[in-house]
Amino acid sequence: MNEAITKIASVDILLRVNGVQNDVSIKPWRTLLEVLRETLALIGTKRSCGEGQCGACTVLVDGKPINSCLYLAVEAHDREILTIEGPVDGDPALEQIQQSFVEKGAIQCGFCTPGMVIATKSLLGETPKPSEDEIREALVGHLCRCTGYVQIVEAVQDAAGQLGSKGGD
Amino acid sequence: MTYLRRLPKFDFVSPSSVAELCALINGASNGDVMLFAGGTDAILQLRRREATPRCVVGLKGVPELDFIEERHDGSLAIGAMTTLRSLVSSSAVRRDHVVLAETAAQIGGPELRNAATVGGNIAGALPCADLPPPLMTFGAEVKLASSKGVREVALEDFFAGYEQTAARKDEVLTEIVVPRPAPASASVYLKYHDRQSMDMTVVGVAAFVELDPDRNAFRDLKIAYANGAPTVFRAKRTEAVLRGEAFAEEGLEAVAEEAVAEAEPRTNSWRADPAFRLVLIKNLTKRAIRFAWEKAQARGKAQS
Repeated sequence: MNEAITKIASVDILLRVNGVQNDVSIKPWRTLLEVLRETLALIGTKRSCGEGQCGACTVLVDGKPINSCLYLAVEAHDREILTIEGPVDGDPALEQIQQSFVEKGAIQCGFCTPGMVIATKSLLGETPKPSEDEIREALVGHLCRCTGYVQIVEAVQDAAGQLGSKGGD
Repeated sequence: MTYLRRLPKFDFVSPSSVAELCALINGASNGDVMLFAGGTDAILQLRRREATPRCVVGLKGVPELDFIEERHDGSLAIGAMTTLRSLVSSSAVRRDHVVLAETAAQIGGPELRNAATVGGNIAGALPCADLPPPLMTFGAEVKLASSKGVREVALEDFFAGYEQTAARKDEVLTEIVVPRPAPASASVYLKYHDRQSMDMTVVGVAAFVELDPDRNAFRDLKIAYANGAPTVFRAKRTEAVLRGEAFAEEGLEAVAEEAVAEAEPRTNSWRADPAFRLVLIKNLTKRAIRFAWEKAQARGKAQS
């Protein structure tokens, strides 16, 4: 059995991350989070609970937020992935959300911030003017042990306002 | 430090059709193969070494398993790989089976619902799964496919024990068929859990009520529990207490007592002891029936 296992071949996959095409050869048991951080050195995405409880590892796959610790990298083959590092050619929404987080004091230790920002990006893409309830519902899968969430809600509201006044993008 | 562990080593295959999938798992022996749907439960089982399969069969590449359809007879057919997010946002689900959308919306957060699937929530056969109780009270059936053909099993007969189902090793759950409920009826699913999201249900109760408007009575009542026993189960003795009876407070008390007698909460669970679960069962049963009753009445008035 063990002998057979050591022979499991690596799988060649295409990871399209932040607009960059990456041909990687990985073992099938590696999670998307591990491959992003360890193979592609995109360490903005954080590993925390490993169970889908904290949201720190959130990335967008085909535009939808998922927990990358609960996602096999092989299943992300040829899908479009967005991480907190952002697209190489820039993303005004992602930049504004981060600016709002800084200005509203929504960051203290910062460990939850990448996941919060990515989830906010997804929320504002679908609901440009979310209510406070909609914001809290969108971020319900994210833990922050510093801010008490009030400033995070304010940051999302601020980002929504700023992006709206710019005519959206 | 479970959370820091890598997954155990396994081979990975990704069939692209149900036929290919059935051929793959035909002849597989116990523990050899893990069917991998959304992965939100499966990855935890792998990380904790509760499952160490030789081969993981990924199902995300089988498009024919991802659908929600209204059939000619009014029933709703849900593909096993339908995500919880799709269930929440489906207008077809909201037409006659809104409780399924409400239940799915209470599971985890958006990140989890974008990956977790209806089929995974059922086939994992965990007692805390939230979709099986309301599905059971609708009289739902599951379709099991293998290279020998397709068979249908009533969901209430599907769970054989903790993490055990009626499916053979060469079978895969492909579809859930949910009959259309009677017009003067309503369903409610209530659950108790420690936090608003991201935790397991301690006790969940689904109640389906069909009114007999002429007699102000229960023409039909179906009740099913999450975490009332080692599997999700339909409480037929409990239902019988009120079926055909008029609505009354004493009736709710009697049905709650029977529910406590019929339930068999697990004794080996760290999340809650059986006594606490029985208190929850007693209170949530009454509340769920009352809500379903009121909802059915409101629906009856809206239709008349």
